[in-house]
Amino acid sequence: MNLSYRIYYVFLRNLVSYKRFVIPTFLVSLIEPLFYLITFGIGMGAYMGYFGGKPYLYFLVPGVLVSSVMMSSTFECLYGTFVKMVHEKLYDSLIATPVSAEDAVAGDIAWAVFRGLVSGILMMIVAVLMGIIPVSILSFLLLLVLMIFVGLLFASLAMIVTSVSPSFDFFNYYTELIITPMLFFSGVFFPLDRFPAWMKTLAEFLPLTHAVKISRAVFSGAYHSGLLWDFLVIFVLEVIAFYISLKMMKKRLIK
Amino acid sequence: MSILVSAKDLSKKYGSLTAVDRISFEIQEGECFGFLGPNGAGKTSTIRMIHCVSPVTSGELAVNGLPARIDNRRLKMMTGVIPQEITLDNDLTVYENLIVFAHFFDIPKHEAKERIAELLKFVELEGKRNNKISELSTGMKRRLLVARALLNRPKLIVADEPTTGLDPQARHLIWQRLRQLKKEGATLILTTQYMEEAQQLCDRIVVMHQGKILKEGVPSRLVEEEIGREVVEVRVPKEEDEWLVAQLSSFSCGHERVGDTLYFYCREGQGLMRKLIELNLHNYLTRPATLEDVFLKLTGRSLIE
Repeated sequence: MNLSYRIYYVFLRNLVSYKRFVIPTFLVSLIEPLFYLITFGIGMGAYMGYFGGKPYLYFLVPGVLVSSVMMSSTFECLYGTFVKMVHEKLYDSLIATPVSAEDAVAGDIAWAVFRGLVSGILMMIVAVLMGIIPVSILSFLLLLVLMIFVGLLFASLAMIVTSVSPSFDFFNYYTELIITPMLFFSGVFFPLDRFPAWMKTLAEFLPLTHAVKISRAVFSGAYHSGLLWDFLVIFVLEVIAFYISLKMMKKRLIK
Repeated sequence: MSILVSAKDLSKKYGSLTAVDRISFEIQEGECFGFLGPNGAGKTSTIRMIHCVSPVTSGELAVNGLPARIDNRRLKMMTGVIPQEITLDNDLTVYENLIVFAHFFDIPKHEAKERIAELLKFVELEGKRNNKISELSTGMKRRLLVARALLNRPKLIVADEPTTGLDPQARHLIWQRLRQLKKEGATLILTTQYMEEAQQLCDRIVVMHQGKILKEGVPSRLVEEEIGREVVEVRVPKEEDEWLVAQLSSFSCGHERVGDTLYFYCREGQGLMRKLIELNLHNYLTRPATLEDVFLKLTGRSLIE
């Protein structure tokens, strides 16, 4: 591992280039989750009645918050990084400077975390405008922290996929076979307790499930000790994924 | 002068492929040193090891007295790299490309700004400061790569085929700039397939082929030693070779048959030419021997793929 403060320079490079894409990326970050909120939240919510004494949207919003973070950070480290690495050869010029391969990759992961955070915050703003508000300022701040952890996890996982990807098409396996099912089996849209036992067991293996649980509890202020386990799962997974992603990307970048 | 780069039995393997095969060389401080060779000769692999982006498989490689390893940030700090491929940041403007790169070298902002102004002038791109990369011609992109490589005032400049795909004007501009940098004291390491480029820029060259160094020397002297001063190309059918070589044996020129042409390498081509006219052979061409002849003689005239 050869990490240094230069991660920040790589992050800064992405920020400079981002200026030109702010509006389109804001739109994309907003539209997809907004679509979930409207179709599921308002459309289906009308039939769903109340969940634990609150409208369905209170159930849905915390889940959509973390899944939008997952989506943004995943796509940034898949497509964003792949373009920079293969098409623009940006990494090649980076590693010829005092920026190491690890710095470059970690800088891109940090950037993806930031992109995830931006998506999550945009989502939060929409939710607040719809009247779905976290229970306290503390809840709000904790949700931001959670978004960073979720972003880091999914950015690192996506980076591992990118490190072995021969082309864009390869990403479809990951997004269609892992990310999309994760979205539907992690209790974002429906409570897991209605699922059969095997599905509940499966859900426990999906990191998003744990993120959704924490998000939902924090959103409504219903903290309980079981959340520590959920957090531990996310934390341990992301430390491992981060480490592996750096190793594997380095292997791809340095020949 | 001291030695800036020294390699001993340096090898590079990619899996079972040996790209560089136990080569040894020394590069003096302040000189321009060229690696010549056809595609796949191992030039790029060699210089990638020198500027610390590719790990050494075996052997020794030291730059400025330090081992050249991929994580050697001190060496990267003093090296400027002009890559073979255009690796500019397409999302950024010309200026942004440079300022972002200056960060990577820890250059303070005010200093970076001054340096960028100087460098844009140096490569004649002042007017393109706020243009996007996609709006630049290939020549401009290459010049920007030169400017980018100079941000950290490198002691060692590594240029991997810096003029590939350029028109003559752009090529000459880059040559002039590289010569100027050398005059200012930088050490230059160059790879090229253009013999003229090597002759224009290099104090010393090595000719590489299949991972090995075939020859090392001063370009002009290499030409004289290996070829002579003049080359006479005669287009005659192969069957006449024996007869013609016998006719011309008194001139003691070396000869080589490649495809439709019989080459004579001479110290002096005048006499041989007169004889050719006497023999009523008019399909010939005489020209000064160049590094290209050395290159082709050493690496073979057939296609290398």
